[in-house]
Amino acid sequence: MTERNRGPHVLVRSPGPAAGTVAGRRDGLNGRRRRSVTGSPWTPYFFLAPAALYLVVFQLVPLLQEVWLSFTRTTLLNPTFSAWVGTANFQSIFANPAFRQTLLTTLVYVLACVVGSVGLGLGVALLLNGRFPGRPVARSLVTIPWAAPGIAVALIAVWMFNPQYGILTRLLRAVGIDPGASGVLDNPQLALGAILVTTIWQLVPFVAVVLLSALQAVPQELVEAAQVDGAGRWTIFRVVTWQVLKPTIGLVAVLMTIWSLRRFELIWLMTRGGPIGSTRTLVIDLYAQAFESKQLGTAAAIGMVGIVISLIVIVGSQLVARAAAKEA
Amino acid sequence: MRSARLGVTARLIAVLVVLGLAIFPIYWMFVTALTPDENLFGATADLLPDLSRLGVFANALADGKVGRWLLNSFVIAAGTTALSIGLGIPLGYAMSRFTFRGKAAVGLTLLFTQMLPEALLVVPLFAVFRRFDLLNSLHGLILADTAFTLPVVALILKGAIDGVPRDLDEAARVDGGRPLTVLTRIILPLIAPATAAAAVIAFFSAWNEYVFAVTFVFDKSLQPASVGVASFIGEQDTSIQSIMAVALLFTLPAVAFYLFAQRYVVSGMTAGAVKG
Repeated sequence: MTERNRGPHVLVRSPGPAAGTVAGRRDGLNGRRRRSVTGSPWTPYFFLAPAALYLVVFQLVPLLQEVWLSFTRTTLLNPTFSAWVGTANFQSIFANPAFRQTLLTTLVYVLACVVGSVGLGLGVALLLNGRFPGRPVARSLVTIPWAAPGIAVALIAVWMFNPQYGILTRLLRAVGIDPGASGVLDNPQLALGAILVTTIWQLVPFVAVVLLSALQAVPQELVEAAQVDGAGRWTIFRVVTWQVLKPTIGLVAVLMTIWSLRRFELIWLMTRGGPIGSTRTLVIDLYAQAFESKQLGTAAAIGMVGIVISLIVIVGSQLVARAAAKEA
Repeated sequence: MRSARLGVTARLIAVLVVLGLAIFPIYWMFVTALTPDENLFGATADLLPDLSRLGVFANALADGKVGRWLLNSFVIAAGTTALSIGLGIPLGYAMSRFTFRGKAAVGLTLLFTQMLPEALLVVPLFAVFRRFDLLNSLHGLILADTAFTLPVVALILKGAIDGVPRDLDEAARVDGGRPLTVLTRIILPLIAPATAAAAVIAFFSAWNEYVFAVTFVFDKSLQPASVGVASFIGEQDTSIQSIMAVALLFTLPAVAFYLFAQRYVVSGMTAGAVKG
């Protein structure tokens, strides 16, 4: 509202949609540029209200309830009764070595997802950006992993890692890695790796396609000028391509971080957080606390930790991006 | 000349390797569905499908349970899409064309909701749903799924509307058009591709949604395919061939639509995740 009141045009406007239209027509005839469309000051709220109301009911209110739950002792068996316990849930999760293991697993999982997907995605993008026959078809087909539903991906991964007959288990045996009788997904040393391979397989196409479109902004005349000057491929990449890609890579990395922090189905369906907690990330821990241990308060506290981490990532990345923009 | 040709060949080989890795698991679903037991559980794996067994897909569909799953998924996904687009268009329009108090807060909220895991809100939503009698129903799942698709859809549409020159609105307003008319007559036809992309994203995120569906629906007859397919994991009674056939039937629509709408979807997703 304050923004709108700054302009002198408000003086000629009286409330009501009809008057708004008249004012709008006058704006048009005067040929002046307006930042907003005509109508009363309530017009934007008219368009905004249904969605805003919806998000308040189905996102904001549940979120606030979850915040409140994190300070209570509430069980799934009797969810309408909550006892206020202050910060006890937070104290108990941080005192628990298993939760520290969860944080560490989450860190490893997220970092590996980001590095793996961005690194390989960049490689695939550079590969597909070159000239070769059938390029449009290749660019489409490469996105298939990302388009496949996560549930189906989990299912095929479980089958491919089947302890006896899985094709990947056969492959591992062939190269001399024995995952043991109960298979890769039940092996504490290998399970997280298997989940990472599956996750990264699914993420790489998305990163590649995004970076591929960013690559179109690389000025070709600059590349050619560098070639004329005798610059090698690596130098051209570092001096020209990388500089163009940097902001997009930063952005994709943040996106991959947030997505990996909240990824649930794939991990839950492949291992349920096991064996012996080796694939238990924050979201898995949260879900298991709520629906297996039936401790809604503890689960909510774990959720809050996840939210704080995500917020730190987002705010931190914004600060870095801003500092980088200032430097440039 | 020769080295350039060699470069192309090397690149082509690398591309084929990448494509092979990308497609193999989906291909493997297909092969598994079409391989008889004795070859599946032998000492070595058969890498080619037995095409004489294509009937496995028809059999999977003939199973009433699977048809029901896919139909439920379709209803949930279509409902979520309609509701997300219906609420997202006006929201995107307001965010793109108006200045108003609280706009920054709305923008931040739309970004913030994208980092909330479904698993976090499933408990409090369960309580809300019980109060409003929305548990164990497809429309309840539509409402829950829309809460998570709406922010993405709205941001994509806002980005698309930002791309429509304001001069067009101005011209329409000179002719006496009110904001709602400008939206429906001028803007909507111009953002049709982005709307289609947003619809694809909303549709398949509901198609694939699992946490709400597995928690809020108890009747087997109301289960969507995501829950049905997931229930195969660790199950012994169904043959692996049927399982893979069903999983492939569940996967193909998503892959087909994403390939078709890929360009818009990717630009939409990045715009949605980036700009506020």
